[in-house]
Amino acid sequence: MRFGITQTSSALALTIFLSGCGSTAQVKVAAQFPSVLAEPRDIKTALVINDEFRTYVAKPTAKTSIELGNAQSDLLGKAFLGLFSQVETIASKDQVSPGTELVITPSVREVQMSTPSDSYLNVYEVWIKYNLDIETFDGDMIDSWFMPAYGKTPDSFMLSRSKAINEATVVAIRDAGAKLLLDFYRIPSVNGWFKQRQQPEVTP
Amino acid sequence: MNWYRWAGIATTALLCGCSATTTIDELRPTLTPTEIAPGERIVILGRRDAGHYETDRDFVDCVGNKLKGLGIGILPEQEFIDAIYPWFEPRTAPKSLGRLTRLLEDPFVKEKVDTKDLHYLVWLDGRTETEGSGGSMSCAISPAGGGCFGFAQWDKVSVYEAIVWDLTDLTEKGRIRVDSSGTSYLIGVVAPIPLLSPVKNDACKGLGKQLRSYFATEDD
Repeated sequence: MRFGITQTSSALALTIFLSGCGSTAQVKVAAQFPSVLAEPRDIKTALVINDEFRTYVAKPTAKTSIELGNAQSDLLGKAFLGLFSQVETIASKDQVSPGTELVITPSVREVQMSTPSDSYLNVYEVWIKYNLDIETFDGDMIDSWFMPAYGKTPDSFMLSRSKAINEATVVAIRDAGAKLLLDFYRIPSVNGWFKQRQQPEVTP
Repeated sequence: MNWYRWAGIATTALLCGCSATTTIDELRPTLTPTEIAPGERIVILGRRDAGHYETDRDFVDCVGNKLKGLGIGILPEQEFIDAIYPWFEPRTAPKSLGRLTRLLEDPFVKEKVDTKDLHYLVWLDGRTETEGSGGSMSCAISPAGGGCFGFAQWDKVSVYEAIVWDLTDLTEKGRIRVDSSGTSYLIGVVAPIPLLSPVKNDACKGLGKQLRSYFATEDD
């Protein structure tokens, strides 16, 4: 069977076109996050951003990876400055300096993603499920707080898959900052710890 | 009558069919004119807290552009949201004046709003949707060439509401609702010819014009 140039070109064009439908996306989240506007409480805190968190790459689907380690570290670093007057960012718990009252270790439990082809909605969505281990300087666990965050694109019109996932992830990370500022001191165990801390010590 | 006259009439009739119908409703609680001092600014924000839609930034920018030339400063939406982060994120943005009042009781937030010289905040809420569609079009491509044949039409509806909040006395100064609808066509005669109804653009123009009348000073 012999093919002419036209047929070969058409077949090649069709192959390229169809390969463009493959849904592989490697996204490196790049965004500048603003500082938070809040009055911090006078507490010295250590924020443990370990290597796993700083270099975290989510794989919500087999063909999608999202590098969000740097972006989430940046946002959380800024968000905690709105909660505590002194925040020391360290790489491991061994580096906690004396005088620190709280040690907070964030981690990512799971990242989920939904695309227009999954949900039949005209948006890309990203869910990031964080966990915050909140401990005292002595290592007593105050709480292991589950903190979900959600982000979506306004629509998917004219957006490439990578750009849309990046946009939804940035919104989700910003949402994590909002959730943290809004709810951190409402966590019953943290609220209890804070009230106990404010009470003057009674000496016999 | 020559054939080109008929063609001209047919084209005109077809293009007229692509126009949008726009209705504007306005509600002002008082007849007090909207006051804005030199140097004061307004910010226009899109509502993004609904689960299934959000007011798109293009529309917010479009309405902002319609207010240019009034001598009023307009603070860009993202600049305001970043400056006051995280209190105007979809999760935290105040949905009522009561919530805004409580938010502005925070001295940090109040100071930031004051430094931005903001007098009014305009919320935009709404979306543009495709409601009904009909017709069919088929396109084919082959080594010898290709083309589209057929006819398709769809209806678009834009519904937007603007709510004006005064940040100095924390009152609502007015609401403007705009409804715009129109039908777009796609005619396939070898090449597809789109005849689009500018529904969203008309909604933006209508809302922008009405907001201009809100903020226009006597000099304008």
